[in-house]
Amino acid sequence: MTAPADRAEDGRTTATTDPATDRNPTPDTDVVALLIAQHGQIRNLFDEVEQSSGDARRDAFRRLVRMLAVHETAEEEAVHPYVKRTADGGDDIVADRLGEEKTAKRTLSALEDLDPEDEAFLPRLLSLRTDVREHARAEERYEFNQLRRLNDPARLASLAKAVKAAESAAPTHPHPGVESGAMNAVLGPVAAIADRTRDAVRKAMGKDG
Amino acid sequence: MSFNPLEQRGIPLDRQVRNWRELNVTPIDPDQCDPYTRCRIITMNGIEVEAILFGHQLARHCPDMEIKQQLARTRYIEAQQQKAVNWLLPGVSSVLETTIAYEQVAVDLTAWVARMEPDPYLKQAYQFGVLEDFDHLYRYANLYEMIEHRKAETIVDGLTEVMPGRPTPVHHRHPVDNVREPYDKTKAHPLSKLHALTVMSAEQQTMNFYMNTGPTYMEPIARQLYQEIGLIEEEHVTHYESLVDPGETWWEQLVNHEYNECYLYHSFMEQESDPKVKAIWELHLNMELEHLHIACDLMRRHDGREPAEVLAPELPDVLTFEPNKGYLRELIAEQLDLTTLGAGYVREAHERFESMQEALNGGGTTPSDRVLAEHDKLIGGDYRLQTEGEHPVAALRTEER
Repeated sequence: MTAPADRAEDGRTTATTDPATDRNPTPDTDVVALLIAQHGQIRNLFDEVEQSSGDARRDAFRRLVRMLAVHETAEEEAVHPYVKRTADGGDDIVADRLGEEKTAKRTLSALEDLDPEDEAFLPRLLSLRTDVREHARAEERYEFNQLRRLNDPARLASLAKAVKAAESAAPTHPHPGVESGAMNAVLGPVAAIADRTRDAVRKAMGKDG
Repeated sequence: MSFNPLEQRGIPLDRQVRNWRELNVTPIDPDQCDPYTRCRIITMNGIEVEAILFGHQLARHCPDMEIKQQLARTRYIEAQQQKAVNWLLPGVSSVLETTIAYEQVAVDLTAWVARMEPDPYLKQAYQFGVLEDFDHLYRYANLYEMIEHRKAETIVDGLTEVMPGRPTPVHHRHPVDNVREPYDKTKAHPLSKLHALTVMSAEQQTMNFYMNTGPTYMEPIARQLYQEIGLIEEEHVTHYESLVDPGETWWEQLVNHEYNECYLYHSFMEQESDPKVKAIWELHLNMELEHLHIACDLMRRHDGREPAEVLAPELPDVLTFEPNKGYLRELIAEQLDLTTLGAGYVREAHERFESMQEALNGGGTTPSDRVLAEHDKLIGGDYRLQTEGEHPVAALRTEER
């Protein structure tokens, strides 16, 4: 066996990273890994809504809307402002993302008065899915790569903490008495979720940012 | 259905150029499509890329201006075909999702070819190779769950199982042991020539894809896994390209390429479930028929031989994407511990194999093993999709957790 030390002597070595110290980011300590994980969870929830029916679909849809609200609000409060401030061309990157979010929110509101059992529900859900998917990929490719480029692991860790705080602060169940109609079931809570998420992020950012 | 491409005429070459509107194909929906539609797209992209690269090599060896111009005309159309085919893939898919689809192609295409191959030596080459692609699918599926928190079953959709094959770290053989014996062009079944060309093209495109997209990843484990499997794809290209008889003339090779394109577009047209994609297979078949005629004329003119002498009298049965689960399980049970020695296969780790393993893997754990360790740490256990019961090899079964 050729030991790494011998390699240096025979001049064959080039600059390489040591795999042992070459750490891979995890959702616990890295906001990019965390947000990509949430993108996966959102797609899983879309699958669940599509593949279920009746009360199971209503329940899955409520969880999907909650997840979307938490995720987007946390991004708006924590991630976008940081990219805007620090990344080259950050203003424009964030403006594009906000435009996509607006489109997705419009599609979401088209699901407004529909019960998940309504025959118009699924086509509109698929259209929402398309908007959300495109938005998520655009974030991963054009915004998250900027976050990585800034090369500030401590900041990525504190942003992860803020997003996680937001996740646990948002209510997991909609308010009682508004279950009739999908958006009645979610609209009140969406605003409430967004508010509580916003508060939680601001509190966490104030502490760590 | 009997179909002899030599007796059909396609679209005249000067009417084959498409404008931007026609090239602007609608991509498939990654979450709603038939996974085998995506497999057919990836396969045909590999075939068109090979057509273009082969055409360029031929032109570089061709001193005659007029023939070079003729080759350039067909090759430009092939470049358009490649764009129309590969642009059916959707921009919203991540590189890793496309990678998992590439490995699904490698598994189900190679397994089908192994099942249908009449020559036992060639059959063994496909059986040997497929067990490695099968393991790559498993490793990438674990990376996918780690990074994107999605399960590979949302891509392969239960048509292909995801579980350990021949372990990726032992795929790194001495380069000398990757070279096989070629078939004999005068004795080989016409189908054998098509199989070799098809699998070689698919593996070549996989090699190209990994070598170029691997470094676009930010995650260290992803970058390293693409490096490792990218190197194995090079071994696979060596393995499969060496099956083709190098004694075939350039013009004979050109005819085989064009004939194979007719065969595959015809096969995929017959089985395509997506009507928009089917229309492209049909259009391209009609283009290829003309490319074949041009190639046949070149072969007659320069080799003084009838192409019908080297081609099948009619197209073989269609090449089909379908589940090969039972067949793969049999191969896994019987051939997991094979490696190569010279142009043949052995079960023991010989000296040359050991020295290559030491040179490459001796310095620490391979990326393909680390992806499993990190998956275990992050999510717990490994990701598998075993639809047909426990793993055929007892040592590779998951312990109850």
